[in-house]
Amino acid sequence: MKIEHKILYSYFFNVAFIVLIGIFALQNMNQVLAKLRFVEISDDLNASFLEMRISEKNYLLYRDEKWIANIHENINDSMKAIEATKDDISRVIGENNLQLLRSYLDEYSKVIDEIDKSGGKDPRLETELRTVGGKLRDFFRNKTQLERQKVNDIISNAKSVLFISFLCILFLAVVLGRIVSKKIVVSLREIEGLALSIAEGNFRKIEDVTSKDELGSVILAINRMSEELEDRGEEIIQAKKLASLGVLTAGVAHELINPLNNISMITQNSLELYDYMSKEKRLALLNRVAEETKRMEEVVRNLLDFSKAREAKLREANINDIVRKSMQLMENTLELSNIELILKFERNLPRVRVDEHQIEQVMVNLIVNASQAMTPGGKLSIETKKGDEDKVYIYVKDTGQGIPPEYLPNIFDPFFSTKSSGTGLGLSVSYGIIKNHKGNIWVESTVGVGTTFTIELPAYGRTKEVKDEQ
Amino acid sequence: MSNKIMVVDDEKIVVDMAKMALEHDGYVVETFLSGESALARLKEETFDVVVTDFKMKGIDGMEVLRTVKEQYPKTKVIMITAFANLDTAIEALRGDVFDFFPKPVKIKELKASIERALEK
Repeated sequence: MKIEHKILYSYFFNVAFIVLIGIFALQNMNQVLAKLRFVEISDDLNASFLEMRISEKNYLLYRDEKWIANIHENINDSMKAIEATKDDISRVIGENNLQLLRSYLDEYSKVIDEIDKSGGKDPRLETELRTVGGKLRDFFRNKTQLERQKVNDIISNAKSVLFISFLCILFLAVVLGRIVSKKIVVSLREIEGLALSIAEGNFRKIEDVTSKDELGSVILAINRMSEELEDRGEEIIQAKKLASLGVLTAGVAHELINPLNNISMITQNSLELYDYMSKEKRLALLNRVAEETKRMEEVVRNLLDFSKAREAKLREANINDIVRKSMQLMENTLELSNIELILKFERNLPRVRVDEHQIEQVMVNLIVNASQAMTPGGKLSIETKKGDEDKVYIYVKDTGQGIPPEYLPNIFDPFFSTKSSGTGLGLSVSYGIIKNHKGNIWVESTVGVGTTFTIELPAYGRTKEVKDEQ
Repeated sequence: MSNKIMVVDDEKIVVDMAKMALEHDGYVVETFLSGESALARLKEETFDVVVTDFKMKGIDGMEVLRTVKEQYPKTKVIMITAFANLDTAIEALRGDVFDFFPKPVKIKELKASIERALEK
């Protein structure tokens, strides 16, 4: 069920519940009102009936006709009052009891008539009058008491029902609300964790997506994004290699044009002055041509290696050699950018198990960034060092403009770039490569002073985990 | 008296080849592997033509051009660059360069340019 529907349904449920409670309370109130009305009527009837009984006693004492007339009057009044309020009365005590009341009154009226006719000389009639009077008295007393009791019962019943309803609503609001929000929060945490791990370049997925709600859809969407990113990760690395290649082109072209110029000049002179040269001179020049050809070949091979996409091929290597090799690629670029290079290699570094080309690529990325941060020039120092706990460090330190603190947290994010020309991929690709090597890369920077990137790689030999990879 | 030509480049094979070709044509050629050594020699000796590489460590071709033009306005300077880039070309022209060649250098064209330089 969707969260939207869950919230809607629970809202409707609560409203329906409250309406039911309201209807219940209203009904109780009506019952109470009807019963109170009956009690009121019955009090009035009772009063007029008491008057009747007093008149009855007075008649029996004084034998005066006026009391009989009084009684008739009272009976008529009571009958009228009962007829006027018969609906209210029958609603409370029922039609049967109403008939009973009427019959009692009729009986009483008849007995009074007979007494009146007999002139009060029949003691049997007097006894009957007392009996009927007693019945009426008891009827009123019982019914009034019963209804009073019922009113009390209804009120106390309503009190407890309302109290329980209150507890129910409280329970629904607090417990169910918490359960729903907890479920949402747990799912959101899961999504947050997923997003963070994707941000770190770990393209994992949430496998069993059970909830069919909006959060489930979000997880499915992120899963798809993760798949896409993973698929495109290789393309991105490839694209970045081509981009770095573009930056390299100027330097590499310089590396090629010089040997080409040398060969060209030797060839022109040889063609032109062949007959004037000694045999030794010719051989020396041809050897030089061979040498220059080799030099060019090496440059081209480096270039091809760099641009080729490849799986990480881990091999045991010396970090100093790798750094040196990447410096060869970058030397010309640095020189053109008027950057002074300071290299500090620690001897007897522990060996590492890495993909040389990938580490070279990281170095080239860092050096390109450093050189771009140092226009019109500056100092670039590259240092290798043995750390504690079988770690090897490479420091790339420039005296460039530095990175503003607000950019530092995003510096390794894909497509984050502070340069108008950058793709924003260099550092993220480098980060991915170092992480794949079970290493770490981090940055420290002060605006106006410079930036230091530190690469930490696990040393090979004593660390066994690295050995099992690929 | 034969014309004196100075060749400056930080690659030895380049100056060697230039020297071989130019000496064959009868020029007196002196070669230098850095801007510094070339400028030092220019304090003692005048040359008719200076052929210099643009990009060198330390004192580069532009500085050689400026110094030569300051001290010996009559000396012609021919610049060799790895890449004929518009900015460097304009800079060199402002410094009153006589000619400008991209690598790889055509030796015949260089010789023709030197001849023209000496005619003026």
